[in-house]
Amino acid sequence: MTPNLTAVRRLMVPLAGLALLAAGCGGSSSSGAPGKIVLAVDVPVTGSPYIAQTIRQGAELAADNLNGGGGIRADGRNYRVSVKLYDNHLSARQAVQDTRRALDAGALAIVTDGTGIDATWPLAHQDHVPITITYDGGTGLVDPATRPNVFRIAPTNHGIAFRYAEYLIPKKLKVALLSDDSAYGQDGAADIGRAFSENPKSVALKLTLPAGETDLSPQILRAKRAGATALLAWGQPSTIAAVLTAARSRGWNVPVYTPPTGADPFVRQQLADHPEWVDGLTFASGRMTAEVGTGPFLAFQSQYESTYGADKVGVKNSQGAAVIQPPEFAMYSNDFVHVLAAAITHANSVERAKVLEALEQVSTQGANGDSRGFNEQSHEGVVDDDVYFARFHDMTFAPVKDDALSATLPVLPQTRTG
Amino acid sequence: MRRTLGAVLAGAALAAASPAAAEQVVLPSAGRYLSQSPPLAVGGPSPRVELPLQIHISAGLRVLVGVAPDGRPVSVQARHRLVMTGRGDYQVVVGAPATSLRAGPGSESQPGLRTGQILWAGFSPGRKVLAVDATLRPVASAPFLPVRLIARRDGERYSLTVTNATALSQVAFAGRAKRAEVASLLDDTRRQALAGLRLAQAFVTIDGPSRTRPVRIAAPVRVEGVLRFPAAPESVSGGTQNGRDVSFAATLGDGRPLSLHVGVRGGGIPLLRLVARTVPPTRALTPPGSASWTVAARRRRIRVPALLARLETTRMQLVRADQFDRFLENPDTQGPSRALYVYASSAVRPPRASAASGSGSGSDALVIALAIAGSVVVAGAALVFWANS
Repeated sequence: MTPNLTAVRRLMVPLAGLALLAAGCGGSSSSGAPGKIVLAVDVPVTGSPYIAQTIRQGAELAADNLNGGGGIRADGRNYRVSVKLYDNHLSARQAVQDTRRALDAGALAIVTDGTGIDATWPLAHQDHVPITITYDGGTGLVDPATRPNVFRIAPTNHGIAFRYAEYLIPKKLKVALLSDDSAYGQDGAADIGRAFSENPKSVALKLTLPAGETDLSPQILRAKRAGATALLAWGQPSTIAAVLTAARSRGWNVPVYTPPTGADPFVRQQLADHPEWVDGLTFASGRMTAEVGTGPFLAFQSQYESTYGADKVGVKNSQGAAVIQPPEFAMYSNDFVHVLAAAITHANSVERAKVLEALEQVSTQGANGDSRGFNEQSHEGVVDDDVYFARFHDMTFAPVKDDALSATLPVLPQTRTG
Repeated sequence: MRRTLGAVLAGAALAAASPAAAEQVVLPSAGRYLSQSPPLAVGGPSPRVELPLQIHISAGLRVLVGVAPDGRPVSVQARHRLVMTGRGDYQVVVGAPATSLRAGPGSESQPGLRTGQILWAGFSPGRKVLAVDATLRPVASAPFLPVRLIARRDGERYSLTVTNATALSQVAFAGRAKRAEVASLLDDTRRQALAGLRLAQAFVTIDGPSRTRPVRIAAPVRVEGVLRFPAAPESVSGGTQNGRDVSFAATLGDGRPLSLHVGVRGGGIPLLRLVARTVPPTRALTPPGSASWTVAARRRRIRVPALLARLETTRMQLVRADQFDRFLENPDTQGPSRALYVYASSAVRPPRASAASGSGSGSDALVIALAIAGSVVVAGAALVFWANS
């Protein structure tokens, strides 16, 4: 055994020397060959295709833009960004496997919708690789103290819940807090419960709904009997559609409020036969335009659509125009890639640990013109103040006028003719 | 200093070009700081700052300085409270060598931390309170505190010296000015100072060549403190004794001494609490025997060079005071800011110097060795005593 080991060691020394020489040559700026940065995108391609597609395309668009400009300059060399796609199937187990594969592939960062983050972040942390969530707003997923490599660019459940409390309580409504039994619904229920805890008089009842159930009539009837004058439904898009169906089919025109899932194309697709049922549906999400106006976001949207085509909702408005979905979540993954590039430039290195550290020290201009970045205290790229409310009418939405922030926001075009 | 000197020199150059021509010389005013810091500098690359014109910010700052028994600052904490008015998006940065921070009481947003920076970003719906409690690195922040303390214990005698640390050398200018104009500017300066306003930009007309002169400037600082002794002291100088407490108060500067000395005999080692804040140079700005400088200058024929010198130095003192009121900068550079500095005896022991710690370790090792040897001797003696008893 020993002679074999010795032989192996003897062989390893020159091999290691050669490898070092090769690495040295590769890093030299005189070679002119650009380096490669791998960005892993782990999203539910087969579980939630719309979300997966928009996140991937946002990241790829940013990578293309950076590469088109010569790549990212660090340590005297240019680096091209290569996006590697993984499908987590909405499964934590698969997300773990994807993370391992991404790390083995040399990924410098991982972008995810949030699936399996509780299990994947320690793996990435061992290798000093940042994971950035661009969809799931779950509280506790991001914590700089305990999960130093987890970042998020997406509105948080916490922010949405507290903004809802701030928005709804002054309206003197009796709100039924409905949440489905999915992980997303239960996370949201906890946050919304906390947000309304100081004003119990505003709450008519709290009710858990079965996710995936198409008939929620008994639950909605119960909410009505409890004296609810508004429904705040936190759940999957299918749950939102079922809540609207149950309420409107009984002729109950109660205002319905939702998290960002209310704007998911699935809701409108489900209710395409009754577009009037969607009217008045209010959802909360991260604003897509900043004070600078619609210009930056529309420029981003235009580039996105010219590259990938518009994200069609699959319904038409009363004028017969096709309704499209603005690329909100694509904006978040796009922004992260630019923040990552800024961190690489700041660190002047593509060393994982250095890039991870630099992520807390940089900001860039986001696709909507707003500043985007993290810091040592917060790994959230969307602050609570950025949560706005929008209301549907004729299958498209517009910011509400009775909220200070939302009232300042313009209406984004959401139809395409021809 | 560079800015002031620049203005003076620019004026001087103009005068040299046309000796007989009158020129307007820029007077010290808010924002034209006399030194680089305070405000504490922003560390690292600053993100894009965004503060729409319709948003105004007033700032309040409380700096808590933990001091060692010898008076050296060993910890610096700051509570910075910004009150925004106006609607719009904002992203602002406050320079601070902070090691940690958290949202302060009443804050309606969470602060961000970067190397050398406190970040605020969000949307102001019309009024918004941003408050942060930050722990600052003493090495980077203590040199810019307005008051320096030196405490000494020599047998039964204890002494505390409180010194105004805002003093610095500046360059002022001199030349032929118009009495009425200078007097009027002094009145304006006094009115703004008494109203607590920041100094508006102002110019003075100089006929003929101007020249420079060195001046020493210090922001007047009001200090009020208490020394609490374990036992009632035997005698006190420079303060007032009330049982175990010795209180003292003074304005350091504004024509008064820049230091205060408190001497105490007996009582032990005290705990200190001292509050310091800048005050306007009211003495220097008070017109002699009249309600205004304009009237005083007319009645008393005060020499114009003396008036001009007073105008400059008082304005520099106000600018210097403004700097220390912005120890942490107000992101709205036009907005008001007030600071209160609280010095208190710290429970934290000051870190030892490396050389001292080396010798300290040696001493400790010797003490431990002697203690062990002593214990062995005592134990042996006890054993012998027990065996023979």
